[in-house]
This record gives sequence, C-alpha cells and structure tokens, in this order.
Amino acid sequence: MKIELISFGKISEFINNQNIEVDGIADTDAFKQYLENQFPPLKSMKYKLALNKNIVQENTEITNNSTIAIMPPFSGG
Amino acid sequence: MSAERYNRQIILKGFGEEAQQLLLRAKVLVIGAGGLGCPALQYLAAAGIGHIGIVDDDTISLSNLHRQILFTTADIGKLKVEVAAKRLQEMNTQIGIIRHPIRLQKNNILDILSRYDYILDGTDNFESRYLINDACALLNKPLIFAAVSGFEGQLAIFNTPDHLTPSTNYRDLFPIPPNKGEVANCAENGVLGVLPGILGTMAAAETIKLIAKIGQPLTNKILSYNLLTQEQYTINISHGGGYILPKTVDEFLNMDYQDTSEGPQGYIEIDASELVKLQQLESTILIDVRERHEVPILDKQIFTQVPMSEFGVFMSKEFYQKHVVLICQHGIRSVAAAEAMQEKYGDAKKIYSLKGGIVKWRDHFLKP
Repeated sequence: MKIELISFGKISEFINNQNIEVDGIADTDAFKQYLENQFPPLKSMKYKLALNKNIVQENTEITNNSTIAIMPPFSGG
Repeated sequence: MSAERYNRQIILKGFGEEAQQLLLRAKVLVIGAGGLGCPALQYLAAAGIGHIGIVDDDTISLSNLHRQILFTTADIGKLKVEVAAKRLQEMNTQIGIIRHPIRLQKNNILDILSRYDYILDGTDNFESRYLINDACALLNKPLIFAAVSGFEGQLAIFNTPDHLTPSTNYRDLFPIPPNKGEVANCAENGVLGVLPGILGTMAAAETIKLIAKIGQPLTNKILSYNLLTQEQYTINISHGGGYILPKTVDEFLNMDYQDTSEGPQGYIEIDASELVKLQQLESTILIDVRERHEVPILDKQIFTQVPMSEFGVFMSKEFYQKHVVLICQHGIRSVAAAEAMQEKYGDAKKIYSLKGGIVKWRDHFLKP
C-alpha cells in the first residue's frame, strides 16, 4: 500500500515528506504504531494525524494512495 | 465615518458600504502585541474595526524589534499596549483603542473577553493558548488562532460553526497542552521576523472575512504555512471529544492552566536576588543549560555548563551539592531541566529555575 507522508514543524526535522510503501497496516491506529516504531522521538511528542486532509479523531481505515499528515502543536508568536 | 478613508475597500466588488459598517460596529480583542499581534493590529485598525482591545503586560525589548513592527528603538522599556495604542490611534483617529496592560488569567479573562465579539490569539505560550481557548468556548466567542514555530505557521478559526460542522475548538486538535519544554517557543527557537508578520496579517484577514461575511474563512480548518517553500496545507477539523472543556464559570475557575503563580511543581522559580543569596551557599551548584554556542558566555568558574542536549548524561552522575539552580536564556528550558531533576531527586535536593532567564536579568549576569 502506498502512502504519502507529510510532516510539519519539529516533526519534519526527523520525518521528511516522503512516499512510503507499507504492508499489513489497515487503519490509523496501526499506522500510528508503525510511525512511533520507525521514528521513536514521536513517542514523547504531542501530535495529530490527518488522513486525506481530515483530522483523525477515531481509528479509521486507510486505503491505498492515502495522504497522511503529522502535525504538532505550535505556540510561538 | 469618513468614507474616503475606506474608499479603496468599499469600492471593492463583494465588499462595499455594508461590509464596512460591519467592521465599524465590530469589537475585536487582540491578545499579545508581539510578532503576530503587531501586524494584525495594524491591519485591523487601518481597515476600520470600530473597537480594538489590546492585551499585553510586557514591555518592549531590543530583541522584539525585528518582528514587532509597531515599535521603535526609542520605545524600548515602554509598555507594549501603550506604544501600540498610541501608534494605532495616530494611524486611525476614527476608531476606539482600548488598552489592557495585564496578563490574562483565570480570574480576569472572562470579564475582558465578554466585552468583545471576536478574539485574536497572538500569544506565545501554551498556558495562554489553552486558557484563551477554553474561555472562548465557554463564552461562545469566535477565536482566530495564529501560531508560529521555526519557519512554519498555523492558522485556524475556532468556536464558529459552519454549514457542515458545529463549532470546534483547539482541544479537538490537541486535547491537552504539551509538557513544559516539550515544544520550544520563539524565544528559545528563534524566528524570522517576517513569518509572524505573514501569519499575523493572515489572522487579520480571517478576522475581517468573518466580520464582513465574505469569502470562506478558515472555520473548522487549520492551515499550515511553510515560509521556506511557500506551501500551504489545510486540514479539516472535526469534533474530537476525550478532553475536559469547562462548561460553567465554576468549572473554568477550577481548571489548571499552570498560571505561574500557582501549581505544586516541586521545584522553585526564583528571581536574581534569590539567585545571589543561593550563590553564597557552598552547597549550591549553578548550571547553565544553554547550548555551547549561545551567548552571552557566562563565567565558567561560577556556572557549570550542561547543555540540554547533554543533560541526560549529567543526570546519570552523582554530585554533592544540595541546591541546584538551573539557568537558560529565557527560563523555559531551565524549567524542563528542573522538572527532570525534581523527578529524579524529589526532596533529596532543592531545585531552582531562574525565572525569565539570562535575558531578564541581563544586568546581573553582565555586570563587571
């Protein structure tokens, strides 16, 4: 399954925007687990996923060619 | 109202006299007269928002000037709200500018916000952002949110329903605040002045769109902006749940927003005079947690240098001193270090963090 990964802020310092090929990942919960295994710094950060430009609020099925964005909170002004 | 002043926007197709009247009748509160607040205030005042409130308890410092464009070198040391209000009033004599030279806290925010129709959050810390979000949700006030980090920005409108979604709030994105030190702010991280300029101006544009009922404001959406690529990415926000949002004034007053004056944190935040007293004790170690490239460089005979990036290694070793004073540039990383130390040592050592950091007590550190 092909997924386009987009990241913002501090997260983009260790996860580049990239197209990845993953297998056996059916939903956003599993994908979150996958991300935190691949990129351990994510575990200790607050972030939100967006699947195809919609904020992920509950476990959601992922289909081929989806775009997943990873967004941390910003506070600066 | 002088129609001539606003002529160029009144003649705009899709704007007109009616939209201008809406602006003139609107009451907008801008919280934070900093990098985001300054440009937002300038455009809101110029566009003819009838009543503009400014909240900020800070004074102008030299390192503000590269991004806080309402202020001049001669204004250093003056209250931001005073200088901003004066400049804006000179620019537009037909509108009302209200000064609020205070820090918003649980006990004063509801009173102030209730006097306005639209709230623009241009603050620079999570405590304020969650406080403002919850107060706006409680009072049902539209909240225009702008924030920056590095070369990127975020922009959103909360507490405003649209035809698809009931209103959402910041907690639908991030239910609880990050821990202190988890996310650096501008003072810690640096910022190119033009970035909050762009985001603050975009926040003013969203405010004007909401009031004048034009276009598609970013209601229930969050826009991410990247200065380096000029790319924007917009995400739809839906209701999240699983968080506590105060539903009554009593619930609100019982929330913990980590107001600096309260909270049982274990470590103690101190000022320079307390630092001097501690410095005289033999059982005190003063630790500078800034990275090695940061200036001003402190006397290494007095201040032990342990950059945050090496803090874990330092923590794994034992040291005899009982009083540990942590120091950084603005007193934010030192709080994170204090939290880590407090967790490890508990009551075995007394942990202190210099509030405001070296920048606030510059004279103390740079005296000959």
